[in-house]
Amino acid sequence: MSFIKSYGVSLPHFRVDDSVLNINGNKSFSKAVCFSDEDIITLAFQAAKECINGDENKIDAIFFATTSPVFKNRYHATFIADLLGLKNINFSLDFIGTDRSGTDAILVAHQLVNSGKNSNILIIATDVRYSSIGEEISTNFGHGACAITVSDEKGIAEIKDTFHVSSFIAEEFTYKNNEVKYDPRYIRDEGFKKNMIAVSAKVQKYIGETEKNILNSKYFKMAIPVFAKSGFNENQFSVDAISPSIGNTGVASAFFRLISEIENQTKNILLIDYSNGSNVLYINLKDFTNKTILKRKLENFEKIKTYQDFLKLRKSGNFNSAKYKSVDIFSSEMMNNREKDSFIRLEGTKCNACQTIYLIKTQRCKKCKSENFIKTKISENGKVYTFTSEHYFPATFPPVTMIVANMKNGGRITLQQTDCMYPEDNKIEIGSEVKLVLRKMTEFDSNPDYFLKAIVKK
Amino acid sequence: MKDIAIIGIGVTKFGELFHKSYDDLVRDAAMQAIADAKIDIDEIGAAWLSTAFPEIGVFKGRSGMDLCEPLTMYNIPVTRVSNFCASGADAVRNAVNSLRAGECDVAMALGVEKLRDRQPQDSIVKMMVEYGHPFLQKGFTAAGTFSVYAKRMMYEYGLKQDDIAGISVKNHFHGSLNENAHHRKACSLQEVMNSPVVADPLTVMDSCPTTDGAACVIMVRADDVDKSKQNPIFIKGIGLSISTGWDLPFFDTNHDFLSFEATRVAAAKAYKQAGITNPIEEIDLIELHDCFSIVELITYEDLGLCKQGESKYLIRGKDTQLGGKIPVNVSGGLLSCGHPVGATGIRMVTEVVSHLRNKAGQRQVQGAKRGLTHNIGGPGAIASVIVLSNENY
Repeated sequence: MSFIKSYGVSLPHFRVDDSVLNINGNKSFSKAVCFSDEDIITLAFQAAKECINGDENKIDAIFFATTSPVFKNRYHATFIADLLGLKNINFSLDFIGTDRSGTDAILVAHQLVNSGKNSNILIIATDVRYSSIGEEISTNFGHGACAITVSDEKGIAEIKDTFHVSSFIAEEFTYKNNEVKYDPRYIRDEGFKKNMIAVSAKVQKYIGETEKNILNSKYFKMAIPVFAKSGFNENQFSVDAISPSIGNTGVASAFFRLISEIENQTKNILLIDYSNGSNVLYINLKDFTNKTILKRKLENFEKIKTYQDFLKLRKSGNFNSAKYKSVDIFSSEMMNNREKDSFIRLEGTKCNACQTIYLIKTQRCKKCKSENFIKTKISENGKVYTFTSEHYFPATFPPVTMIVANMKNGGRITLQQTDCMYPEDNKIEIGSEVKLVLRKMTEFDSNPDYFLKAIVKK
Repeated sequence: MKDIAIIGIGVTKFGELFHKSYDDLVRDAAMQAIADAKIDIDEIGAAWLSTAFPEIGVFKGRSGMDLCEPLTMYNIPVTRVSNFCASGADAVRNAVNSLRAGECDVAMALGVEKLRDRQPQDSIVKMMVEYGHPFLQKGFTAAGTFSVYAKRMMYEYGLKQDDIAGISVKNHFHGSLNENAHHRKACSLQEVMNSPVVADPLTVMDSCPTTDGAACVIMVRADDVDKSKQNPIFIKGIGLSISTGWDLPFFDTNHDFLSFEATRVAAAKAYKQAGITNPIEEIDLIELHDCFSIVELITYEDLGLCKQGESKYLIRGKDTQLGGKIPVNVSGGLLSCGHPVGATGIRMVTEVVSHLRNKAGQRQVQGAKRGLTHNIGGPGAIASVIVLSNENY
């Protein structure tokens, strides 16, 4: 037996309405869009951190699913495992083939846990894809990340059954970096419909049990008649309530919809994730304590006001702020790696004599001169002790606000504020509450250079 | 400890000296000081060269040899001193100690920085943005590291932006009287407050410019002064302290962003040596490190001119203006003179020496007998305080 033991969600703070992207766009549709210092790594890290919530030592495998990788010849799974400080990983793998790569990972995790080879597998699904300039409406993109742990311990939901129905037909794909598009009717009839006929035959046995079926495909409505022939009625299929507000999040889309049904407390969920074939999961809700992680994140956002602002985000990394043209900023993987325990995982030291907490290693306590320290975890929540706005530091959205924050339960850290596109709407003051999140240190980067920044709580 | 006397001073014009090279500046300052001391260049037995940032200048000043070469002054020990913006004062301290130890009989301390062979943002801003630690404090420029003090001072003590800008107005007025200053134009409070923000609440006019310049002092033991030809000023107290690190204040809750501990420690040392117990009454003028306006207000308190949190009353009452109770930065300070980093601490000494000799022209502090210089570096982590007197009491 395998279970979904926990989950985490990460959505960018910003949304852009279709009506901002195009005057003919629908006002009720919007897309979640990364800030200038976000990417799949930062979204994945935040979702995974929320998901494992202190269980770092239990995770023994990590899978990373995306169709928008930032690395080539390097697994994102290993990179994230290291950032999270996962020390007991015996299997790490990226799934980067198609939009169903995320559910591929679940299928593999289910097999591994059932076979007893692994006990707690962390799966992260994330995509950060953009349309071409001018094609933002016709291309449904959106940014986000979800993470789940598939475990042999009883948890939120049991994965009762999984299977796969293969198809060689893909709707849109690239061949030697060229986009290939077949006749849409051929794709629908020979690809999607045929695949759904095979799927419906296989899931017919669950017809009396499932409350809501999730069919994750843009051709969803075309499949209703197919499933009707197997005895399903239209009301058994959930309507996608997520995409209209955050867009199509690629591999994360199926995860968002699954988590949404879990938070709706749907008892029995049939998830069909179609893209170049189908993955099917049959899931029973078990021990779910009315969390609203996704619901809250869907409700907490800030709107991008103009198309120009959206274009600025797109241009991140090629900016010229306050008369200062940036070039590549020094970064060192060796330094970053050496400092990760402190500056990514917030492992500090506490003076045993006077209890002062330090994030930077020190030989003696500055306050009492004691050399007796113990390790301590520094909170990611704190309050602004002092701050300033820097008008000459290059950034897509200057000024950069620098915050000196005293953390809850002790320790101090100084870092940049992020998610601040409109400073006039986001005034901060001494005493404002902040939370630390992982972001790209510099927007113009040619090396992976991630560090914590602060978001100001409202 | 043997008493030390300054017998020669030299200082170049500070500013955008596009027609002068690093070597030209060294020669100008050194030869002025040698002429003032009325000595021969070969009498100099040891020298200290202060250049803080060769890598954001013209790659000169990485070693003492860059002092020897322009002066053709060889076969003596010459050491480059690098202690951030306090390098100049530290060069003086090293020269003093060498004289006291008997290593040499005549010592030179020369500071020089050539920053304007680059675009303005190509030097100090570039240093903070592109160099240094990849992520610790990344986002700050130099102004920002002091603006966070201003914000906290405003929060704790009710300091107003008018008070901060008032420092700039005062020092720009003083600078208008100094023929060697980079900026020689007085300005109004509104001009300071309406100039572009660099790092809130500090504006462009609250910030010192990046500048070319050099300054030099020549010293001997007091016993060796030739009173028939030299006009000595005596070093009565000298203290230098490093009291935190570059990063530590920003990651250490012990740091309150209201004071520079290094200044307090350095001042205590210098005051003890000079026998000063009530500085506002016993000192006649001060040249202090106003790289940004807020630093001058913090330093009033750290030097003990007033109680903590009360520096605003000194600027509001015009006590630190020329003609006031204790004139501060009558040269125009860094805000007006500019900040050729390695030269600044020595330029301050030459300024105070001029007043103590009653040779400071229209900005002369009348009757000045005892003066003080204060030079900080590494966002307040390092501080030097030197007490000078025209009497060897």
